Amino acid sequence: MAGEKILEVEGLETSYDMIKALKGVSISALSGKLTCILGPNGAGKSTLLFTLAGILNSDQGKVIFAGEDITNQKTSDLVEKGLALVPENRLIFPHLTVKENLLAGAYARLAKEREKVEQDISAMYARFPVLKERSSQLGGTMSGGEQQMLAVARALMSKPKLLLMDEPSVGLAPMIVDEIFSIIKQLNAEGISIVLVEQNASKALEIGDYFYLLDQGKQIFGGSREAILKENIIKKAYLGESAG
Amino acid sequence: MEYIQISIDGILYGSSYSLIALGFSLVFGVMRRINLAYGSSLLLGVAIALWVENELNISIIFFIPIVLFFCSMSNLYVERFCFAPHNTKAGVVVSMISSFAIWMQLDEISSQLLPDRTHSFPSLQISTFEVGGLFFRGDQILNIFIAFFISAILFLAVYKTKYGIVLRAVANSADTAKLMGCNTKLVNSLTFILAGVLGGIAAFLVLSTESQVTPLFGFWCTVKGLVAMMIGGLGSLTGAFWGGLLLGLLEAHFSYHFGPVFREITTFSILLIVLIIRPGGLMGVNIYKDLKSRDERI
Repeated sequence: MAGEKILEVEGLETSYDMIKALKGVSISALSGKLTCILGPNGAGKSTLLFTLAGILNSDQGKVIFAGEDITNQKTSDLVEKGLALVPENRLIFPHLTVKENLLAGAYARLAKEREKVEQDISAMYARFPVLKERSSQLGGTMSGGEQQMLAVARALMSKPKLLLMDEPSVGLAPMIVDEIFSIIKQLNAEGISIVLVEQNASKALEIGDYFYLLDQGKQIFGGSREAILKENIIKKAYLGESAG
Repeated sequence: MEYIQISIDGILYGSSYSLIALGFSLVFGVMRRINLAYGSSLLLGVAIALWVENELNISIIFFIPIVLFFCSMSNLYVERFCFAPHNTKAGVVVSMISSFAIWMQLDEISSQLLPDRTHSFPSLQISTFEVGGLFFRGDQILNIFIAFFISAILFLAVYKTKYGIVLRAVANSADTAKLMGCNTKLVNSLTFILAGVLGGIAAFLVLSTESQVTPLFGFWCTVKGLVAMMIGGLGSLTGAFWGGLLLGLLEAHFSYHFGPVFREITTFSILLIVLIIRPGGLMGVNIYKDLKSRDERI
């Protein structure tokens, strides 16, 4: 149901050995909305997504997804429950064709829903016509923007309830970034819940519904677009206290 | 005519090298690990199967699946104790040393099961025939047909089935495959089982042709399979297949012209030359020029 909490994170703490990267982060995401996690380099944004996606285990805290406690569950279980991650730098399978990349994205459904998976691939081709044109081309031979589209389509193949996107604009030309952000906006408009981690704050502000700001592993802000712009807090977080 | 006969013999022999090399290549392609205990696990599978055959006095029809079963199980044992505990990038050297340790362990167990210098092995008893002045050993002809058939099935499984896509996705990037929900541990175990089945088929074909097995068979498998894979292309299935045939062909010609003692000298000379000229193998890419080729296989 739109407007209900699909994700709730309470006091999440995650470490890399001795270094604490998340220090008690609490966020929530509403169903059908686009929630943005902003912050400078090293703020803990990607660590937060990795913990949500089951790649990293948290030391403390709780993650509730669609009403179920999923704290520290395995990635494979989370994918089946409807969480999908579009990783930073795309990470498509470079030596698999575009179609094989999409099939790999539907791994959790391959055994049970073979025919439906084929239908979904056709739907992805309709959504991203360039992928249809390059269906039998190796993923690694495509441009950065096309690879990003493939990464998004691959994540959608698992039929996620919540799409986690890690820095989709990294390494892309400004024109391509605009295209990728319009795709994200379109997906959200179709009702897909998205948690977007982005360093490009101005682009995220154009499309996001709700914003969290992380700095040095701590959450320093949570609120609407109007609130984040009003408090001028982004400038402070990115450029330091004196920027305010 | 003589050259043709030698070439035929070489290719027939090389077909079993191809099957062993495919097993090596499959494991290397998926896990980026070299399994030095591969030959030993095949020897152990054969040794256990022979023990079962002696105890139960079973026919060759039942003996073949028993060989395949125990070869795949001993290969799975190697994966569980040698590769699964060291599946991080830092574990490459440790897993190779572990595979050496497990090689010694398996050879010791096999030598207890096969204490004599040679043991008889069930033969398929197919007679030799002549076509146009060329002689063909029936069992070797059967071997090459089986080798081609099994290789074709393997290629179809890897490139045309959904399991193959998952296998190649893990080979491309295990970390990314995990993000798709893929159970990479299961894929690794299945790959070792598959490599064990391939090796078991090769072991049966070679040993039934020879009608005997010696305790050195494991070492022979490791050396021939590794060399055929390296010649063809590190981790490349196509390369492993052709590498095996080429090795068999060259060995046959060199041992005919310079004497049987040159068979092994040829094997290692070819390997050295290939490693110097083209370290990635004949059908691979030069790994020193293009480090990305690590991801390119399978």
